[in-house]
Amino acid sequence: MAALGSWALWSSCSRGRSRAVLGCRLPGLRSSSPRSPLGARLLSQEKEATETHFGFETVSEEEKGGKVYQVFESVAKKYDVMNDMMSLGIHRVWKDLLLWKMRPFPGTQLLDVAGGTGDIAFRFLNYVQAQHQRKQKKQLRAQQNLSWEEIARKYQNEEDSLGGSRVMVCDINKEMLKIGKQKAHAQGYKAGLAWILGDAEELPFDDDKFDVYTIAFGIRNVTHIDQALREAHRVLKPGGRFLCLEFSQVNNPLVSRLYDVYSFQVIPVLGEVIAGDWKSYQYLVESIRQFPSQEEFKEMIEDAGFQKVTYENLTSGIVAIHSGFKL
Amino acid sequence: MATLLRGLLRPLCAFQGNPGSSTGKRRGRGKESRGRVPLRAVSHGAGLLYPEHIPTSPLQKLLLAAGSAGMALYDPYRHDMVAVLGETTGHRTLKVLRDQMKRDPEGAQILQERPRISLSTLDMDKLRGLPEGSFGCAYLRFLDVNRVSPDTRAPTRFVDDEELAYVIQRYREIHDMLHTLLGMPTNILGEIVVKWFEAVQTGLPMCILSALFGPIQLSAQSLRLLISELIPWAVENGRRAPCVLNVYYERRWEQPLQALRQELGITEPPLRVEGLV
Repeated sequence: MAALGSWALWSSCSRGRSRAVLGCRLPGLRSSSPRSPLGARLLSQEKEATETHFGFETVSEEEKGGKVYQVFESVAKKYDVMNDMMSLGIHRVWKDLLLWKMRPFPGTQLLDVAGGTGDIAFRFLNYVQAQHQRKQKKQLRAQQNLSWEEIARKYQNEEDSLGGSRVMVCDINKEMLKIGKQKAHAQGYKAGLAWILGDAEELPFDDDKFDVYTIAFGIRNVTHIDQALREAHRVLKPGGRFLCLEFSQVNNPLVSRLYDVYSFQVIPVLGEVIAGDWKSYQYLVESIRQFPSQEEFKEMIEDAGFQKVTYENLTSGIVAIHSGFKL
Repeated sequence: MATLLRGLLRPLCAFQGNPGSSTGKRRGRGKESRGRVPLRAVSHGAGLLYPEHIPTSPLQKLLLAAGSAGMALYDPYRHDMVAVLGETTGHRTLKVLRDQMKRDPEGAQILQERPRISLSTLDMDKLRGLPEGSFGCAYLRFLDVNRVSPDTRAPTRFVDDEELAYVIQRYREIHDMLHTLLGMPTNILGEIVVKWFEAVQTGLPMCILSALFGPIQLSAQSLRLLISELIPWAVENGRRAPCVLNVYYERRWEQPLQALRQELGITEPPLRVEGLV
């Protein structure tokens, strides 16, 4: 406690050195050079508390949120086109695999965080709708001797084609949500879909609300990943599942070399030519390198309280799906 | 907390094996090993030659040149792509132009003083008060009629030499002056004529490519006019005129337009190309 107090005083003394000399009441500490072990440790502590990475740059934590917001604000309009160009369409397969792993059934409540343009949400709705239709067909085939009243009732109760499933798309960025809503309107998705503006580190939902929580290609942009994981744990129902689709570390050295060249040489160029924005795509490839490896991220998820945490590598580890349960 | 520390420290460990870093403090190490390290580490603060600079590898320049050329043809409204094409392909030509500027007294002065043309550096009130027929007045009328502003020029980003970056920036900023001198509006036909003039004058690959491929989108009638009258006139004037980058336009606002045209050997256009509106 005393150490903390004296640390605060020391740091305020060092900062105020350039201004008028106010009586710094601890001459002992003021005269200690930064190279002393105490000074060095305190300096590094202070640095860790307020600074973080933005791609390969170092920024303060307050700045990072704003900078990430600006990146996504500027890429929103060309987001889907760029995804297709950069991954040569493979991102669609990755997202399909995520849904496959999820295997939602009609009645599932899904929260898709950083869901921006709605890719996961639309796939979810397609999946549960197909499931529901299949279930209904099976039911009808099983019941061969229906009376007139029962048939009429069956046709009348056709309003809910999703069988009670709902998806909430939550994103911190207004532009991305706008694009998502436009896409939903254009593709005819109406039922079971809600768009919420919210921060992954502080979700605007009550505890124990959702069956599945997904975050696809979003968690590496969050300033405090552990905070986001804790929030995920909070809003999931007991028995709920956490799923994260994210770029990760490649395990094959040859693929890794090619991937590096492609990431750093080609992707910013694509960003400049197609979207007119070099810097955002430079940030993209750098932020991928800054994200923890599969094992480290697994440990972070376990720290947040999830159990039975597993991960699956896709495309030699370019992308990984992490899964955990709240039990 | 431990995992957060690990996440923060891991990039530093990675850089120990791979020399070069992103923070400005280790600038020395970054620069000496730039040959080996992918340019990612250099693009933040350490290797910048001018504020907007984005260092690029030869492969990136090649891809940018090809991509921007394709995109400029595909979507003619992407003026930034034309600019990028100019920056990535013009290195050798810019050196020639810079040397030309150095040999000329007025050009050398421009290189030294580095004047910039933007709404903040132009004295608009003074320009408006100039007499009819002066260069400044004609320039202002050009900006008004075509509804353009000198602030729409993108800054140079991909040129890896700070002086050459200024040369290409200056070339872009006097583009409007050339429009005024040649009497060409900012529609496609007018732009192509100015590009032919610039291609002959500067020899920049981007100008040559635009001059050759720009007319693809024109109608047959405009194309006929272009080939028969406008291009020969533009080429002749381009050959006759001294290097237009050597003219200190900011000192010539009061000079009558005709006098300036005569000094540069620019004649009246053979036919009137209608402007916008």
